Amino acid sequence: MRTRAAVSAALASAGILIAGWQSGVHIADSSSAVASAATGTAGSTGMGTGTGTGTDDSTASSGSSGAGTTGAAGASAKAVGTYAGSVVQTRFGSVQVQITVQAGKITDVTALQLTDAERKSVQISNRAAPLLRDEVLQSQSADVQTISGATVTSDAYLNSLQAALDAANL
Amino acid sequence: MNTQLLTSRPEVRRGSRGAVNPFSGQHRRRLLRADVLTVLFWASLAGAVALWLADGGMAGFSTPAGSFTALGIVAGLAGMDLVLLMLLLAARIPLIDHTVGHDRALEFHRKLGKPALYLLLAHGILIAIGYGMAEGLDPVSEAVALWVLVPDMWLAYISLVLFIAVVVTSLVAVRRRFPYEFWYAVHLLTYAAVLTALPHQFSVGGLFAEGTWQRWYWLALCIATGAALLYYRVAQPLVATFRHQLTVRRVVRVAPGVVSIEMSGLGLDQLAGSGGRFFIWRFLAPGLWWHPHPFSLSADPVSFDAAGQGTLRITVRNLGRGSAQLAALKPGTKVALEGPYGLFSTAARSRSHVVMVGAGIGITPIRALLESTPFQPGNATVILRGHSESELYLGEEILSLCQQRGATLFHLTGSRPAGVRTWLPETSARAGHRLASYDPNVADADVYVCGPAAWAQSVLEDARAASVREDQLHYERFDW
Repeated sequence: MRTRAAVSAALASAGILIAGWQSGVHIADSSSAVASAATGTAGSTGMGTGTGTGTDDSTASSGSSGAGTTGAAGASAKAVGTYAGSVVQTRFGSVQVQITVQAGKITDVTALQLTDAERKSVQISNRAAPLLRDEVLQSQSADVQTISGATVTSDAYLNSLQAALDAANL
Repeated sequence: MNTQLLTSRPEVRRGSRGAVNPFSGQHRRRLLRADVLTVLFWASLAGAVALWLADGGMAGFSTPAGSFTALGIVAGLAGMDLVLLMLLLAARIPLIDHTVGHDRALEFHRKLGKPALYLLLAHGILIAIGYGMAEGLDPVSEAVALWVLVPDMWLAYISLVLFIAVVVTSLVAVRRRFPYEFWYAVHLLTYAAVLTALPHQFSVGGLFAEGTWQRWYWLALCIATGAALLYYRVAQPLVATFRHQLTVRRVVRVAPGVVSIEMSGLGLDQLAGSGGRFFIWRFLAPGLWWHPHPFSLSADPVSFDAAGQGTLRITVRNLGRGSAQLAALKPGTKVALEGPYGLFSTAARSRSHVVMVGAGIGITPIRALLESTPFQPGNATVILRGHSESELYLGEEILSLCQQRGATLFHLTGSRPAGVRTWLPETSARAGHRLASYDPNVADADVYVCGPAAWAQSVLEDARAASVREDQLHYERFDW
């Protein structure tokens, strides 16, 4: 009887583990595809608004440098400008946001980089980013509530945002 | 001194060959349940890891830092799973109690304590290394950074410290140095440890991240565990206490330092057959009510009238502070009860033949079992062990029960031989007696043993030597 229990337990556990592993392989592939797609779009928006991709790369490699890079040089209060925030490192990946400013108002917030260390982080980021964006657009500042369950991402997001706001003199 | 009392000569050996064993069905089902529980135990551990794998966990192994983090996550998941399973084992769930018995469930619970703690420690250390490598920090600085910077992590650190405290105070060597109440109070911190561990699983870890199967698995497991604890350890005892309305009727002195406490109550027919099983009693008198006493029934419950007003009886020896006060209980004292628990009952029977061996105060559940467990005349042997005849508590009741039901009774009295490991008194051990000398059919019998731990182990060894299989052995321990 003990053997029956041992054999069934071993078989059941092995089956469960293999099933989990199988579906995991599938998901890991698709998530890396999603991640590359995401970086692609971030790059293209950066180009479109005139922020040099080169600047992006250099900030990323220099770690959390505080300086925000401005897209449109000498953007006046009236003009449309994009300002990238600093790259903030977290244990779940780097975070960098970019704001679009028009007539002294934040009209858009784009995440150039979001926490993406694991599939979990990607999920959390994807959930938190739109919520944060809405809050920021509403309050017009970095003084908004963090998203519960995504505190690390939120803090980094808001830090980067603050740098962007400083750069835009808002 | 060594007395044998032959109460009935079995003329016909019924049930030995060709007869149907009435317990084979329940025995088979119990073994099946035990196997199912074993499989469920391992499956839940495998499930915890598999759900993480299904969520793309393997991707972490692409970098060295990721590998440490991934291993740390797996350790944490397995540790959390073990902690929840330990809580379930201690929840007194009837399915588990009917299958392996309360004491065996708690023994397993204790065995899991250290592995669970090691997994949780490994979780903390591996994550600190993994995250540290990712950020270029040494593990200690990373641990400090996690504490300071990441929300909810300080709670997780507290949780780990609480888990360490709970496991360390439960180590036998440590536990002996402190009173039961201290251990119990520290053990209650387990709930605080689990609750302080939850926030970081929500916010930092992905256990409950939306859109994953893991979320549902962990939610279900946490809720089921909490519900089982609340229902079986809080709600059901309250319901039983109100339903049975137990009060102490009288306290009878059985022998020096030993008293029988008789309680009357309602609806006790519902407890029929629980003779030999134990309840956790609380006598609601000043200075006593907060102290739970685990005692077995020393007689099967009796229900007298149509209203179900009946009697429960326990027989108690003055062992500790609490037990001493029991002798002075006043009639009319209200009694709260939890139970019945344990497998020292007919529910554990697997054969038609039965051998019951009791020593000291361990004789009392044998007395209750003898009263109600079914057997044909001649198919039961009762062996009572004590230093003297006066220590064979309830001896007269047992003698008359043996006469009524046709069981063979042995009184084994006297001290043990020095330096020899045996459960027998000196004269019997010298004569070369074994368990099989008292019942030649012991190999095909259920053997019930109740007494002090070392003595009981000695009986069990003797039984195993007489080729009694493990699933035929039933013993109750007092020393958890």
